[in-house]
Amino acid sequence: MLSTLELSPQTLDADAPVRIAVKNLDFYYGEHKALKNINLDFRDRHVTALIGPSGCGKSTLLRIFNRIYSLYPEQRATGEILLDGRNIISNNVDVNELRSRIGMVFQKPTPFPMSIYDNVAFGIRLYEKPPKSELDDRVEGALRRAALWDEVKDKLKSSGMGLSGGQQQRLCIARTIAQKPEVILFDEPTSALDPISTGKIEDLLEQLKTDFTIVIVTHNMQQAARISQYTAFMYLGEVIEFDATNTIFMNPHKKQTQDYVTGRFG
Amino acid sequence: MAAVTDQMAPGAHVARKTPKGTFDIVFRNASFLSALFVLLLLAGIMVSMVIGGWPAFREMGLGFLTSSVWDTQNDQYGAWPAIAGTLSTALIALVIGVPLSLGIAVFLTQLAPPWFKQPVSTAIELLAAVPSIIYGMWGLFVFVPLFAAYVQVPLSNIVEGMPILGTILYSRSPSGLGILTAGFILAFMIIPFIASITRDMLDQIPSVLRESAYGIGATTWEVVRHVLVPQAGVSIIGAIMLGLGRALGETMAVTFVVGNANRLSGSIMDPGSTIASRIANEFNEALGLQLNALIALGCILFFVTFVVLVIARILVARVKSY
Repeated sequence: MLSTLELSPQTLDADAPVRIAVKNLDFYYGEHKALKNINLDFRDRHVTALIGPSGCGKSTLLRIFNRIYSLYPEQRATGEILLDGRNIISNNVDVNELRSRIGMVFQKPTPFPMSIYDNVAFGIRLYEKPPKSELDDRVEGALRRAALWDEVKDKLKSSGMGLSGGQQQRLCIARTIAQKPEVILFDEPTSALDPISTGKIEDLLEQLKTDFTIVIVTHNMQQAARISQYTAFMYLGEVIEFDATNTIFMNPHKKQTQDYVTGRFG
Repeated sequence: MAAVTDQMAPGAHVARKTPKGTFDIVFRNASFLSALFVLLLLAGIMVSMVIGGWPAFREMGLGFLTSSVWDTQNDQYGAWPAIAGTLSTALIALVIGVPLSLGIAVFLTQLAPPWFKQPVSTAIELLAAVPSIIYGMWGLFVFVPLFAAYVQVPLSNIVEGMPILGTILYSRSPSGLGILTAGFILAFMIIPFIASITRDMLDQIPSVLRESAYGIGATTWEVVRHVLVPQAGVSIIGAIMLGLGRALGETMAVTFVVGNANRLSGSIMDPGSTIASRIANEFNEALGLQLNALIALGCILFFVTFVVLVIARILVARVKSY
């Protein structure tokens, strides 16, 4: 149906274990119910894309997984999100520890006001006190995986704010993977970047899924089609359809999904 | 309708008198003169201060800055006790005020529940608007007696005879007045300024930066200490400098509580004076060289606060665009 879309070449492993299971999830901004009865499974070491028009709740859903919403007292979630069988939205979860296991990369690059090295080491130092040589190795390893090492290896001591937008975003990815999380959430990570930087980030996502479970929110349907194995289409706070990416884009079961992926609305 | 408009439009255009050049030129010159007036005023103050203070500098030389004698009978004047008093009260105010202000700003922007944030914010704005004489009166009639009874007396009993503390913290006459008291009152006065500017600076930091700092598992303290405060960085220093500028020049409240002693004491519990309080106390009766000496004191204060304010402005203006 969509000859213009370049679909993900990789095959998905339908037997991969479920890493995050969302069950009967509702979410409220104050009185406003923003997510309604969400049920989704995110499979281990796969890329799952959340697509849908603005305001459909996809970023809201993403921000629940590492409890960013807990920073805002008027926001609350009910239901279950199981990570390794534990409900992460219950009150007795150590939120900081959870966030070190579920990393997040934001829409805009967010380098911290410190050196490139310290940016990457920051997350490691929060939970571990590795000796200097090991820390050096992990910083270098994270920067290499984020395809940034060659560009910054001679200026590790200079500020992370001095890098270009695309470099800053890869720095944020390096900072996230340096913590060795199990899941990485990407909230429209390329929407503020030029096409070349976007290409680099997409290549990176391709590499990262061998080690990490990835959830990505994107407005760009080509991007979703290129990099994800599973796609959830959301509309007005509900999941309309969730299936293998190929099915969503080539052979969707719902009319709304078809209208959206063919660009008839949204 | 369209026809009417069409008929009226050209007529209106012809009837309208364009102001042409004259009004514009008058307006431009008038606003230029208004702006020029500020510069002339500043220059006028500077020149008259230097001229007025010059005889004192000429008579006393550099000794004016370093001498501790202030003897109106023999026309001997030294600025050092007043300079030291100004600097020490301002320093005490910063030591007390800055941590409290930063705490207030961090609490308001990061931790406060909404129902508590608004009243505290409003209270800070109101405190900033309280006239300094109110602080002075409150300081003299309320704070000073309490400070004498519950701090100076017990503390003097404790530190008496101790090596260094016995000098710095011992009050020979526990009246409640003194350098430390003035420092406290000044701290109360500068807290609203530093706290509200710092709060605004922290509020300007994009929430996505804060979220990403929390997002990798940092605690509130780590987010504030390593990300938010460094991000606001120089602007916070600028806010502190603005507070310092106010503390250095504050006259009325300090004159009430500093004790107005002309001699220099090693103890911050003892009465002292600041440049501003010395001028306020003596200006009425000053004649001749004494008047010149007071104006010279004013020159020094003017110079010091000017430098502090310039630095503050530069730092506050450097709010990093994200």
